[in-house]
Amino acid sequence: MIELTGVTKVLKGQSEPRTILDGVDLSVAAGQSVAIVGRSGSGKSTLLSVVGLFDRPDQGRYLLAGQDISRLPERRAAKLRSSHFGFVFQRFFLLKHLTAAQNVAMALVNGQGWLPRRERRARVMQALDQVGIAHLAKNRPAKMSGGEQQRVAIARALVRDPKVLLADEPTGALDTETGTLVIDALLAATSRGCALVLVTHDRDHAARMGRIHDLVNGVLTERVPA
Amino acid sequence: MKRFSGRFRSSLIIGLQGIRARKLRTLLSMVSLFLGVLAVVVVQAGASIAERALLADNELTWGYDGTRVIDMPPEQKAVDAVLAAVKGRSDAVASIGVQGIIGEPGVRPVNEGGAPIGQSWGGAVCYPDGRCEEPTGPQGAAIEVRLTALTGDIRQFRPFRPVSGSWLDFSTVPSMAPRLVLNKEAAKGFDQYDVPAEMRVNGAVANLTPRFVGVVDDGTGEPRAYVRADELATWLPNANLVNPNMGGELRVSLAPSSPIEQVLVAKLKGMGVEPYVDTINNREEQEDQLRLMRLIFFSMAGLVLLIGVAGILNVGLATVGERVEEFALRRAVGTPRSLLAGIVLAETLLTGLFTAAAAIGASALALKAVVLLAGGSHPILDNVQFPWEAGVAGIIAGIVAGVLGGFVPALRAAGIPIATVMRA
Repeated sequence: MIELTGVTKVLKGQSEPRTILDGVDLSVAAGQSVAIVGRSGSGKSTLLSVVGLFDRPDQGRYLLAGQDISRLPERRAAKLRSSHFGFVFQRFFLLKHLTAAQNVAMALVNGQGWLPRRERRARVMQALDQVGIAHLAKNRPAKMSGGEQQRVAIARALVRDPKVLLADEPTGALDTETGTLVIDALLAATSRGCALVLVTHDRDHAARMGRIHDLVNGVLTERVPA
Repeated sequence: MKRFSGRFRSSLIIGLQGIRARKLRTLLSMVSLFLGVLAVVVVQAGASIAERALLADNELTWGYDGTRVIDMPPEQKAVDAVLAAVKGRSDAVASIGVQGIIGEPGVRPVNEGGAPIGQSWGGAVCYPDGRCEEPTGPQGAAIEVRLTALTGDIRQFRPFRPVSGSWLDFSTVPSMAPRLVLNKEAAKGFDQYDVPAEMRVNGAVANLTPRFVGVVDDGTGEPRAYVRADELATWLPNANLVNPNMGGELRVSLAPSSPIEQVLVAKLKGMGVEPYVDTINNREEQEDQLRLMRLIFFSMAGLVLLIGVAGILNVGLATVGERVEEFALRRAVGTPRSLLAGIVLAETLLTGLFTAAAAIGASALALKAVVLLAGGSHPILDNVQFPWEAGVAGIIAGIVAGVLGGFVPALRAAGIPIATVMRA
């Protein structure tokens, strides 16, 4: 599904340029799950930014379903983000003035095509059902627990039926038990053919993925199973 | 087109959600903008009302815009031609002016020469044979008026404002005692002086006994009385109706499309009478004054509106600052930059429109209240309606303020990097 070859990203700040990603190779097929682990500042989030088309690689090639998307203009990148990617972040980023259903619907009301209200509602309810919180559809974030809020965020990522799901430390703000439920919800998406890239510090969660990659000083290496 | 429609709907939906979520901020934006839009609405309403009042005064004196008027020297042959031309027509009215003195016979009127009450212009009494005599005798209970004989209802051309009583009824049989409608200045004289109902008209076969049936405001400052021409003709033969030696005026007012104009003008020229034909155009006469008035009003309103725009801009920028994560997240889920800008613009635009609606409603209610409370004592406020131009100006002001106030915040929202959510 996604294939990165020799991807390099250099941060050009006020001081010396710093190489964040150094010739990264990564390939994730449909239905596969991959964990990216590494210390803080190792470039995990930057890698996810490049994969999620938030940012462009300075060097290297990025293929999505065989199509080179390394140098996409922003308008086309936005369209691809909408149609192919789902994002889950450490912080849930739910809009507090919207209900769970409205927060999920946010990914559908994004100017990339228009769905009739009935269809929109059906897809929102289906996404909430997939993460097991359809009964909380009318609740606002303030009335939900952290785990429930993160599952709303996952439903928001799933509602457009993405090909690639990117999760940046989605359990970082949750207790172990709730975190496990969240990982369950993410893995359930892979069973429907979605590729999953999970950035995490948690070894147990990483171990549940199909593959584990270590990112050290911008260099990505696949961990050989013991 | 479909894509535009989707983005437009998305902007409106998200914009409305944003307004509902931040009611207090929206209200604060509206407060400053409300004053600006209100200023525009009030100024436009005031300008419209003042313009109408200005025009109404001119219409009262000169007639409605578009009315054709033919003035000519008051000669006998012209009178005959005019009376023959307008007879039985509703689209043309002839008015013939003569002097009349109402009151005690053998005395000089209190306003000699038909001057405003309390003044005297002096005056000679003239006869059809051209002989004039300086008035003699004591000043007594008599009032001199400009008597205007009408062949039909002149109010279709000049909007006299009724003050009391009724207007002349042209549908009845002529009365032997001519019915008079006084203007306000003449009525003032008859209020102040107790005069007998006897009227002297130069050239009349006898003194007349007039009946006052009403009072109107005709916009003139000298005492005037209006009478049916056929009722006056009973006592004043056409031959004596006008006489250059006695002064007088002869005018025909016509509807713009009246077919008799060409015929009458040709006929008069054929008789050797030179008519002066003109079209009433008060608006053109007042255009310079109106333009200056509008310029001053709109400069003031523009300044106040600018303050309102600054308010909405300030609140808009603060709101975008607070919503950085939301906008970054929206971009992450595929919302294009243009839609983000559209969301912010939709919010400020809707705020502008809601504010405009509130300001228009408040102004309309305030005007209604002012008319109710002060309408009786200020004739300018009689039957004043909220001008639609003010409503349109308010909506335009709301839209302009919304777009101007939202433009910079919209640009800023569109430029928020998605990485904001990754770093959070």
